[in-house]
Amino acid sequence: MDIAVLVKASLDVNMIKADSEGRILFDSIPLAISEYDRNAVAEAVRIKGELGGKVVAFSVLTWGPVDKRAREIENVMREALALGADEAHVVVDDTILPGDVSVTAEVLSNLIKKTGDFGLILAGEGSMDMMSAQLPVRIAYKLGYPVATFARKIEVINGAVKVTRDLEDVLQVVELPLPAVVSVTGEINQPRLPTLLQIRKSFAKPYKAYTISEIGMDAPEKLFPFDDIKLVTVSRKNMIIEGENLEEIAEKLIDKLIEEGVVRV
Amino acid sequence: MKALVIGNKTSHLIDGLGFIQVLASELGESIEAYGLLYGNQVEEVKGFTKIFSMPDASPEAVANTVSKVIEKVTLEIVVGPAEKNGTEILSRVASVNNMPMITEVSGISKAGDTTYLERAIMGGRATALYGFKTPIAVTVPAKKFKVSDAEATPEFEELQVIDGVTKVVEVLPKEKGAVDLEAAEIIVGVGRGFKAKDDLAMAFELAELLSGEVGCSRPVAADFKWLGEDRWIGISGKKIRGKLYIAVGISGAPQHIMAASDTKVIVAVNKDKNAPIFTFSDYGVVADLYQFLPVFIKKLKEKKGL
Ligand SMILES: Cc1cc2nc3c(=O)[nH]c(=O)nc-3n(C[C@H](O)[C@H](O)[C@H](O)COP(=O)(O)OP(=O)(O)OC[C@H]3O[C@@H](n4cnc5c(N)ncnc54)[C@H](O)[C@@H]3O)c2cc1C
Repeated sequence: MDIAVLVKASLDVNMIKADSEGRILFDSIPLAISEYDRNAVAEAVRIKGELGGKVVAFSVLTWGPVDKRAREIENVMREALALGADEAHVVVDDTILPGDVSVTAEVLSNLIKKTGDFGLILAGEGSMDMMSAQLPVRIAYKLGYPVATFARKIEVINGAVKVTRDLEDVLQVVELPLPAVVSVTGEINQPRLPTLLQIRKSFAKPYKAYTISEIGMDAPEKLFPFDDIKLVTVSRKNMIIEGENLEEIAEKLIDKLIEEGVVRV
Repeated sequence: MKALVIGNKTSHLIDGLGFIQVLASELGESIEAYGLLYGNQVEEVKGFTKIFSMPDASPEAVANTVSKVIEKVTLEIVVGPAEKNGTEILSRVASVNNMPMITEVSGISKAGDTTYLERAIMGGRATALYGFKTPIAVTVPAKKFKVSDAEATPEFEELQVIDGVTKVVEVLPKEKGAVDLEAAEIIVGVGRGFKAKDDLAMAFELAELLSGEVGCSRPVAADFKWLGEDRWIGISGKKIRGKLYIAVGISGAPQHIMAASDTKVIVAVNKDKNAPIFTFSDYGVVADLYQFLPVFIKKLKEKKGL
């Protein structure tokens, strides 16, 4: 059974840059593999180990500028390949930037359909940058497949998939017929960092980038583009307590906390 | 505006109604609100014209049933709880009805003639604004939008579940903790810098000395299960707003630390001087927690005369 895995080249939220007026400098924030998509790749590779088949990673670029980002999305997909995916297909197209979740779902579902028949489509529970957690469901409806979200355990048995959903109060176990879409939590497995050898090998694996017209589409209309994105300002004292030894540092810290009125002795 | 609020707890209906009320008053519109409660006893909630009820079901079956209601009553807004099931159900409703969706709305604002719905993105480092339009699906966090008194007394109607292909085969309980971090004034946070569960004893000792609680990063609760999920701090866990947060062995990912942004003073203890946590804290100690915590505890005890 072949498995598709959705991987986002997400803005790296640990590297947010803004100008002195607090305007976010989107083009200077690097793209990185969305944290929980690594879990999705690792899970796809695990299932492939049991059932055979291949793992194909898919992505759609959602942040411009294209000339700079084309290389970055390739690097992200090389990471997915190093983690064990067998090939990667992406759409890089100016006309759909910045991304809109319904457009991304439309483009990805077309790209998946065009590439092959997949028994299972895995994705991370939500992306690191936009965090809307809607994409797996939207894709499933576009493909006409059943879907389950927030999986912390997946078992494929006889043409069906049993998914343990990690909800706030309970674990809900659901069963869906294949083909199906499943989103996974960050806790489903612990992806290892790829080895140097795996990284080197990833460059020999197939990587294809398409425009939307190359996959037979016109730019779909955006359902709900954002109008603005504002930085949340953080202002803290950022004082590193220094001293001759840990005793002195501890004492200075306690004094500061007393001075702030947050600790009483 | 015609709205449907769904959920499996009465509090979900109240939270959703609060959002509708705030939005309607911002837009200067009147409200016709419907509720849909699944898997729980219906109670009367003033402000709803009608409350539908249905037994517990898979998110797919709930979404199918909701879509049927939408067909009957032309709705402009569908609201659900910003929880995992709420997110899946609303994503399904939005997909079927080709609606936009706002996951976890954090605020409503106005500029000129436009009303915006806001939500946190990028791990909480930024807020995205979307010009309000209908139809729309929205998930709403608990207790975010205060509900005000309303006149309408609801009628009740039981709905037939419209099943799908998803079968719920088992529901397993999760261990429930009793710590209320959201009400704690002082919190000691523990992260992956701790090497073993037993080592958390140091953090508990420190918290006790300060009359505080112990909280943690997502991996400590969700991955390692060293602590209950009631202690998990972050955008997918608890938001904290006390006077002091001491983050120990926590790197400072925005998804964690932005949930502490309403805390008065933040202290970080981390052995890596380049850890991002230091840019989000007031006081930083660059040290190995295994060396620093025992000294810090000893000095605190001395000062307290213990
Ligand atoms: C959609 C999404 C939602 C998320 N939600 C949450 C959330 O709600 N809450 C949350 O916490 N995370 C959340 N995360 C995960 C988050 O991105 C980080 O992975 C996580 O917060 C890291 O936890 P940590 O700081 O404990 O571990 P790490 O990032 O591994 O940091 C460990 C730190 O400990 C330090 N350290 C190691 N040894 C020592 C020592 N001996 N002494 C002192 N310091 C030491 C290291 O220098 C390092 O900085 C979310 C991620 C995503 C993508």
